[in-house]
Amino acid sequence: MSASPPLAPPSARPRAAVPAALIVGAASIATLVVAWQVVAMAGIVPARVLPTPLDVALRFATLAVETFSGSTLEGHALASLTRWVIGAACAIALGIPLGVALAWLPPLRPVIAPAFELLRFIPPFAWVPIAVLWFGASTTTQALIVFIAAFPACVINAHLGVSLVDPILPRAAAMLGAGGVATLRRVVLPVAAPSIFTGVRIAFSNGWMALVGAELVVGKQGLGFLISQGQINDSVTTIMVGMIAIGALGALIDFGFQRVERAWLPWLAFGAKRAS
Amino acid sequence: MAPRRSHAEPVPTATSGGATRAWRAAWRREPGRAAWMAIAIGSLCAMLGAWAWATRPGGAIPALFLPPPGDVAASFVRLVSRPYLGSTFGAHVLSSLDVVIGGWLLAGAVGLPLGIAMGWWRRARWIAFPLFQVLRPIPPLAWIPLAIVWLGIGEPARIFVVFVAALVPWVMNSMQAVHSIDGLLVRAARTLGASDRQILTRVVCRTALPTLVAGARIALGNAWTTLIAAELLAATSGLGYIALNASRTLEMGILLVSMLVIGVLGAAFSFGMQALARVFAPWSRGART
Repeated sequence: MSASPPLAPPSARPRAAVPAALIVGAASIATLVVAWQVVAMAGIVPARVLPTPLDVALRFATLAVETFSGSTLEGHALASLTRWVIGAACAIALGIPLGVALAWLPPLRPVIAPAFELLRFIPPFAWVPIAVLWFGASTTTQALIVFIAAFPACVINAHLGVSLVDPILPRAAAMLGAGGVATLRRVVLPVAAPSIFTGVRIAFSNGWMALVGAELVVGKQGLGFLISQGQINDSVTTIMVGMIAIGALGALIDFGFQRVERAWLPWLAFGAKRAS
Repeated sequence: MAPRRSHAEPVPTATSGGATRAWRAAWRREPGRAAWMAIAIGSLCAMLGAWAWATRPGGAIPALFLPPPGDVAASFVRLVSRPYLGSTFGAHVLSSLDVVIGGWLLAGAVGLPLGIAMGWWRRARWIAFPLFQVLRPIPPLAWIPLAIVWLGIGEPARIFVVFVAALVPWVMNSMQAVHSIDGLLVRAARTLGASDRQILTRVVCRTALPTLVAGARIALGNAWTTLIAAELLAATSGLGYIALNASRTLEMGILLVSMLVIGVLGAAFSFGMQALARVFAPWSRGART
């Protein structure tokens, strides 16, 4: 408390503060990496437990060209991405129509809600053992876990987006002679689109997290499998390369979604909700 | 999806072609509370019935794919009445709860002060926020192999993974909560002569309370989800361990029971935290994240 805290509200900060924040942030990350390198080189902890950042970078380069556990780093990443896209695409294709229908046709809600609410609270990974029994260690199993993780976000956000549409709009459309389908397609869906798109983004990010978990447990390829192999081979560098690849791909794709959102749906995403 | 009034006004029905219009209007109207419950219960019964019918002896779905509801109930009784995998069912549940609550509290003890500090002092935010931005995209599950190598297959590894999973929502929501406080409140308190410490404890933390509790709820949900995955990989007790073992020994009933208990406990956490929010911050009825 002694070091004169800036009590001005954060919103009133002058614009010039941004570069300072960048510098401090970069310095903070750099300090961490250097401290990691120093601690690892000092030999307090064995290199087997904590390799240096340089080791990890070298391992990254090695894994990118050499095969490890069946394929190169790119091969594992490609396998993961394939399952991810299949599962998330199915979740979007089924979840968004369901969410829209639930909001547009209220009598459907009591039909769907009990089962949906019951199943929603089972974490996606809890499905892994039964999914393995159903489909074996195949792409279908992994895609199913992604689907289970991504589906609720699609349904909830599509439902939310459609039910938050100002009731004046469909009524105005009806007065101007639009039928039910035309109102839905031309009026309601464009207004709900930002929320629906946020649902898609959350679905992809939830699916990615769940996929990593599924690949840790079963499978013969993929980034999650790579880090579990690193664990078995007692290679912390491999584990860390896998973690970095997973984080970087996830961040990259989320960033891409944000750019697409801004380009296609310049109006604001409002009231979107993260599915738990 | 609680029963809620639809925004659509009931369309007037008494015109030409009344029957189809009434039919259409009914589809655009929220059923009343009694009808809602009736349809909901009917839907549940229909699903249960379909499940029982499809998995009956000689039915379309073999018991190894999906056991009939009766088997699942019997498995539940068996799990509760006799020890399974070395300890009683209650002990397995307690072991899971132990780790999840421990990791969650530990993350809160670190994340709550850190998040509040990051929201309040911009220098703290400048230093710590980029680190979290770098670590956040890595799913908590991806830490499991590292935790196993570092800490072995035991409770410390699981607590570590749960800690990592819960830390990010604790920090991010606390920071958001403090950061987004209306500056007017702070300035008003300062005008009235409050000290920095008083402003932080009496104005900022109190105004931020609903969001702080919401962050705690998200953190607990993440912690639970992650723990189940950690138990699938590195555990000798717990609900995830039961699920994995049951799938290896093809005890489908026990597998389904463990999944259901995991889901019920997850729902209980979520609703419990919402109730807690109403107790601690009753003015925040609408502020759900």
